[in-house]
This record gives sequence, C-alpha cells and structure tokens, in this order.
Amino acid sequence: MQRISIDPITRLEGHGKIEIFLDDEGNFANSYFQIPELRGFERFCVGRQVEEVPILTNRICGVCPEAHHMAGAKAVDAVYHVDPPRTAKMLRELLYSAFYCTDHTTHFYALAGPDFVMGPTAPVAERNILGVIHKVGLEIGGQVLQMRKYGHSVVEMIGGRKVHPCTSIPGGLTKGITEEQRQEIEKMGRWAIEFAQFTLKLFNDVVLGNKEYVDLILGDIYTHHTYYIGTVDENNKVNFYDGKVSVVDPEGKRLGKYAANEYTDWIAEHVEPWTYLKFPYLKKVGWKGFVDGKDSGVYMATPLSRLNAADGMATPLAQAEYEKFYSTLGGKPVHQRLAIHWARLIELLYAAERWIELATDPEITSDNYRTIPTATPTEGVGIVEAPRGTLTHHYTTDERGITTKVNLIVGTTNNYAPIQMSTKKAAQSLIKKGGVISEGLLNMVEMAFRAYDPCFGCATHSLPGQMPLEIVIRDANGKTVDILKQYC
Amino acid sequence: MKTLVVGLGNPILGDDGVGWQIAHELQQIKQLPSDVTIECLAIGGISLMEALINYDRAIIIDAIVTHQAPIGSIHHYKLEDLPNPSSGHMSSAHDTSLLTALHVGQSLGAHLPKDISVVTVESQKVIEFSELLTPAVAAAVPVATRIILDLLIESNPEKAPKADNMKN
Repeated sequence: MQRISIDPITRLEGHGKIEIFLDDEGNFANSYFQIPELRGFERFCVGRQVEEVPILTNRICGVCPEAHHMAGAKAVDAVYHVDPPRTAKMLRELLYSAFYCTDHTTHFYALAGPDFVMGPTAPVAERNILGVIHKVGLEIGGQVLQMRKYGHSVVEMIGGRKVHPCTSIPGGLTKGITEEQRQEIEKMGRWAIEFAQFTLKLFNDVVLGNKEYVDLILGDIYTHHTYYIGTVDENNKVNFYDGKVSVVDPEGKRLGKYAANEYTDWIAEHVEPWTYLKFPYLKKVGWKGFVDGKDSGVYMATPLSRLNAADGMATPLAQAEYEKFYSTLGGKPVHQRLAIHWARLIELLYAAERWIELATDPEITSDNYRTIPTATPTEGVGIVEAPRGTLTHHYTTDERGITTKVNLIVGTTNNYAPIQMSTKKAAQSLIKKGGVISEGLLNMVEMAFRAYDPCFGCATHSLPGQMPLEIVIRDANGKTVDILKQYC
Repeated sequence: MKTLVVGLGNPILGDDGVGWQIAHELQQIKQLPSDVTIECLAIGGISLMEALINYDRAIIIDAIVTHQAPIGSIHHYKLEDLPNPSSGHMSSAHDTSLLTALHVGQSLGAHLPKDISVVTVESQKVIEFSELLTPAVAAAVPVATRIILDLLIESNPEKAPKADNMKN
C-alpha cells in the first residue's frame, strides 16, 4: 500500500496532517486527517476563580481570542445566574461584530483568495495574499489593512485591549463607551459596510464570473449532505452572539433548537483509535460513521451551516445577498463546501450592518453596563458563534466560584468529521491510478478543508505557528519515492 | 532609532512563554534608551507586521523547537537569515508568514523596520499548558535579556558588556 502524507498543512493554524493511502495499483484506498493531542487546557483552568477563565481562554489561540472571551463571559454570567443589562449585551455584540469583520476579511483575502484569485494550481510562491493584492490592486490591499485596523480599534475601545479583550466580567462589562467613541465606531462601521459590499462584488466578478471556479464550487468532489447547526435569534435569523442553536437536516427541515444549557442533550462525541481529537455528532440522530445523509449524526458548523440553519439574515443588505446566494446555487440547503467562502462574505456584510445597528442604538452609551451578581455561583454554559463554528464553554464551580470542571467544544472540533469526509472525498476524486500527484493536486485536497477555516490550534488547545508543508509519497513497502515541499 | 522589542508567544503554554518573560525582564531595566518600546504579543503574520508599523528597528524574542541545539540555547538572527523564515510564531497559518506580510506592508507603503532581529530560545515543553518554564529555558532568560540589552545599546557598546551571539 502506498502512503501520501501531507504534513503539516499550510495556511492552517495547528499541526494537522493528512495521510493518504493508495493500494498496490496506485488507486486511492483511504485517508485520515490527524490532529496531535495537545490537551490540558481544561485541566489548566480548574481551581481558578471562574471570572479569570474568559481571560485565560482567550489565550488558547491567537486566531479567535475574542470568540473565546465572549463564550467565556456568557458562561460566567450563567455560573453567577446573572443577566447583563441590554447595553452590556449590545456592547459585547458590537465588539464581536467588528471582530467578525476582521476575521472574515483576513480569511477571504489571505486564505481563500489565493485559491480563487491566483487559482488552485498557481505556483506556491504566488499563492498568498501578496499575489492576491498584486493581481487585484494595491489599493485593495490597503483597504484590507484598513478593515483590520478598524476592527482592532473597536475591539480595543470596548474590550480594553487589541486582539485579547479583557473587559467582560460577571453581569456585564467593566466600562462603557462615550458618545465621542460611539461616533468614531459608527464612522468605521459605515466604511465596513462599503468594504463588505466591495468584497462581495469582487467575489462575484472574480469567482462567480469564472466558469471554471463555479464548476469547482458546484462539483461533486466538494459536496456533502449533512446536518447543519448555527445560532439564530428569536426570528430564526443568523446571530453570532446570542440566541438558540438551530439544527436542520440535510433536506433543510429544522430538527429543533437548543439553548446553551441543553447542549449535552444534543451533542455527543465519538472517539476513533487513529486520532486523539473527538468527533462531535448529533445525539438524537446517532453516530453512523463518516457518512452523508439523514441517518448520520454528522453535522457541520460553519458560515454556510449558519445560513442553512437560519431562515434568513437580520439585516437588509445581507438578506438580499442571502436570497441571491440560494437562488444562484439552486435552493436551500446548499451542500457544496466551497460555497462556505461565499457564505462567509455574506456574514461579513451582516456583521458590518449589525455593527451600525448597535452603534446607533440610543442605549449603547448608557452607563448601565453591569448587573452586580448576587447569587451563589454553580454551573453555566455560554455559546457564541465563532467565525469557524459554534463555540461552547461549560464551567462548573464550587460555592466560592472556584472552577471544578471546564469543558469546551470549539468551533473547528464541530467540523472534524465533515473535514475528514471532505478530505477523503477530494483525495478519492482527484488521485487516480497512473495520475501525477502534483502540488497543485494536493492543494486541491487541502482546499477541501481550508473552506472550513479550521483552526486546530484551539481545537487541540495550543498556540502553534505555521509549519512547513511536506508531502511524502511512499510505495507499497513504505519506501519514500518522492517528497514535495513548500515553505520548507 | 525608534525600536520595538516584541516578546512573542503564549504566556500559559510552558516554554512558549519565554519571549514574554524576557520582555518582562527588559521592562524592569531603567537605563533603556527612551526610543525603545517593549511589548508582549501572541500574534503572527499580518497582525505582527501591523504591530511593527512606524518603527525603524524591531527585535522579536521567541521560543523555538529545532531539536538541533541544547535546551536553553540562545540564537540571534537577522529575520532574513533565519534558517526557516516561517518557523516559530512569526507566521500565523491563519493568514500568512511575517515575511510575506512585510512584503504586503511594504507594497502598500507602510513604514516598517528595515532592521528586524530575531532572538530565539531553544525550548522543550511548548504543547502543555503551564505558567512555568523548564529549568534550562528559565536559566536562559537573564542571558537573553543581556544579549537584547546589548543589541539595544550597540551604538554605545561601552555602556554594557558585550554578549556572544550564542550561549548555552
């Protein structure tokens, strides 16, 4: 049996590794997406004052600390049985909307962009953000950095620090914002809406305007029929900060919605012997293996999942894009994984519009940004939508508020089973007997999971840096016959 | 020369926090030149490039695992001379490497340091959550602090003893 090893994966946070096995005749046999075990974070958090945990959890990973801080803050509110005032909730969501704009922008221009603007088979040296901005224009590069700067500014104004916010405390926030700050936030948000619209137009022109890319998106190799989950508001519209988690089946029918404290009724975890990371699945459906379909409990939690699990977007411009998305792709739900990139940009527009809705609410500058907790702390669950999937924090404490148990289901972990399935299907479709296994081909295998925007740094509870890519191809006896390298 | 010193890494991930600890040591030194700023960061790629904007010089302190040097070994490189420029935390796989990000920034006309040094400490435990450094890495903290201090005042070498490029 031959073995192809993609280790580790480029442009992906963490130390992922794909092992592709070929049979003696050179046909695809199987593949495994492996994640090394880097656990210990939950244990590290035990024995600490619970309000310290949202600060610690935003150190799990350098990619989405804002998401961990928010899920942690909501879990701590629940532990203390306290409901923050409306202003506090709005300020947190405002921070979170700005963070989403930064994160989704970075993913599109730095991770998805190279595949779609430069092309999946472009030379490695050009398949990066530098190549993208040279192709689409330097001024667009400037706008990308401007978007990031504005996002960071809002996070710093409300969260106290850039990137790693620290102002959420039980029952609300340590501070509010002034009218002067509000005006600045509003100005930046209006610019963000224009930037999001521009980015959607760019996607429309560059990707949807190219038949080759459209065929790639709609092709079978990147398609799976699974369940989808995502948080929705009381009107079943997408919401990143609060609401219930909606679950829909592969036909788009809603199985139900669960509140944060009901997550254990809905989500269970499957263990495989070849990886330490667990595979969450829908408990009510059951684990049937890495298979598509209504009888399989495999679900996906991504921007596309959020759109599939909701009835629409809560803001007008994003709603119009949502309608265009489904009418273009042939109705709801959409199962093509590469469409996640498009869904992500619709969410970018929603986040920018929501930024303005919140920044222009008369109560956003109110001094009523905290409810002092009075109840004895016990146990609580907080859920937010991290950019890369539903993020669940569950804390249990003693009566002094000292943590006795901490459990996290991070965004990417939700998608571990579908990523495994997508990687396998792409490899199976692309690697054929007698075919040449090139870097471009292997990049197309990588594209199968890059769409999920995975961040195994926090899925495995570590903060790694980028690692070089090395693909080792072995013959039936395990002897190395070729090595492909990039960034080495 | 406006200089930024960055302690890079994750302060709760064992030896990965060594950059922060060295930066904290430097922050305690009173005779630092007034144009020197010291920061602790847990970012990479574009975010790290953004942090360097408007500085003339930067020194990045990071944990590194090469398995090719004794634990606690200190190395000093120019960024462009790093054996693997995408090593350590200078890259964020979620966006791009620092080198590519610097090229992006330069293309867009950002004022970025022309001189970027990287001081690395060979580390051991970087995948287990802990606030403690392993003893050999902890022992490197004062040595690395002195090396960086030398780099900061290298235009006035009589003010501090010269340190070697590499020490075990």
